[in-house]
Amino acid sequence: MDFSVREAPASTEIVLSGRMTFADHDTFRDVIATFERPAGHRMVFDLSRLDFVDSSGLGMFIIARDTAQRRNLDFAIRGARNEVRRLITIAKFHTMFNIDD
Amino acid sequence: MGHARAMAVLPRTDGAAAPPSPAGQGSGASVYGMELGIPLGGCRVLIADDSVFNRKTLTRFLQWAGITQVAFASTAEEVMERLESFAPDLLLLDTAMPRMDGIAVCRSLRGDPRWRDLPILMQSTLNSDQMRTVCFSAGATDLIAKPINPGECIARVRYHLERRSMVQELRAFRERVERDLRQARAMQLALVPEPAELAALADRHGLTVDSVFRASDEIGGDFWTAFEFDGTRVGVFAADLSGHGIAAAINAFRLHTLLTRTPPEELRDPARLLRQLNLRLGEILPLGQFATAFYGVIDRADDSLLYAAAAAPSPIVASGHRFRRLDAAGLFLGAFRDSAYTNHRVPLRRGDTLFLYSDGLSEALDADGAMLGEDGLLQLARQAAADAPDRPLPALMARHAAAHGERLHDDVTALWITRR
Repeated sequence: MDFSVREAPASTEIVLSGRMTFADHDTFRDVIATFERPAGHRMVFDLSRLDFVDSSGLGMFIIARDTAQRRNLDFAIRGARNEVRRLITIAKFHTMFNIDD
Repeated sequence: MGHARAMAVLPRTDGAAAPPSPAGQGSGASVYGMELGIPLGGCRVLIADDSVFNRKTLTRFLQWAGITQVAFASTAEEVMERLESFAPDLLLLDTAMPRMDGIAVCRSLRGDPRWRDLPILMQSTLNSDQMRTVCFSAGATDLIAKPINPGECIARVRYHLERRSMVQELRAFRERVERDLRQARAMQLALVPEPAELAALADRHGLTVDSVFRASDEIGGDFWTAFEFDGTRVGVFAADLSGHGIAAAINAFRLHTLLTRTPPEELRDPARLLRQLNLRLGEILPLGQFATAFYGVIDRADDSLLYAAAAAPSPIVASGHRFRRLDAAGLFLGAFRDSAYTNHRVPLRRGDTLFLYSDGLSEALDADGAMLGEDGLLQLARQAAADAPDRPLPALMARHAAAHGERLHDDVTALWITRR
């Protein structure tokens, strides 16, 4: 998995791309490091370039959500497609995450 | 020949020889100020050289490196005998001696699995590139040119002994881990119902149950179990813990323990069971770890399947020629506090099939990197049922292996349950 960060004054968008799996724990630590923001800041995961996510990858979304909650950040995911969309749908993520589509 | 003592264990402080090291440093401390790294006192070196002078010189150099266990050989037969009796960690082999062809000895040692990893340092007066190539082709680990320089000789011997010691350490570690994993694997296989017990349970309830349970590594995070709680109802529980390997397997054991401690009355209601398991698992699992799960109760009395699911792969129900996927959406077990689950009731009559599988099966990639997917697996199930109506699961697994390989990247559970 690769990621890039797009900054705006009150929000940070993280574009995840490729396959997000068990092997990406270290990369994901760098993603979480971008959550060092003031309370109220908006963090968005853009999943439109993500091709696949396994159970470890879905676990990383849960960690991101928890990190955002602890820091009082506004966290959303958006743009999931195909297999990624199917997985977050069957995991009923819409009941636990802000899905901004 | 006629060496009364082939093995000479030299005292550490041999006053006759001092290394070319700065004055005042003890034997073996340093040669030309070279760092001497790990102690080599426990290492054994076999010198295959028939010149008394060379033996003495090499022995002295080895002693400076801290190596005191040295044995000698001057014929091919002696080399073989000393390898067995002395078990050296390294062989210093002269390429050409009157009674031994060092190149041939080296080649034959490499043909024997016992000596394939033994460091063999060949010494030669012929230092042409051709000669060196011949030595390496015969399996020499390294070469030392004659006349032998103490600094180079010690450095090379030390390098190969250290390397060997690291390889041995790694190998021992690997063997221990493999042994532990084999044991853990046997324990994990014991989590799923024992075949004879399962067959008896299936018989009592008019079911045919065919199952596959495989871990991609030695152990993994899948498990399933079945139990009966009265004369007409059988519960089937299948779960897949997030991640892979040991951590996932430990979590699978945790979930299994929670399940076996669940009072029977809580097993009757699938949604309630998942809610309870979510709470209990949530207290145990670290953030970001969870399980996907399916729990269904097959009820013969009213020809139905009552089930609840936590983001499990969609189970397939086959009725005659109709194959359809069930909705198995739900929040992960152990991920969020207070998750609620929904019961679904679907018909499951005599002759109908319930096919459960883990995502290791549906997410398998073919040679072109394309994922099978749940649609693809449903087609595969339909074909398998048509090809082999009596035992569709082995046919399905064979078709799956043909397209996606035997070696899968994830754990696989597959359960083909038919009401007779």
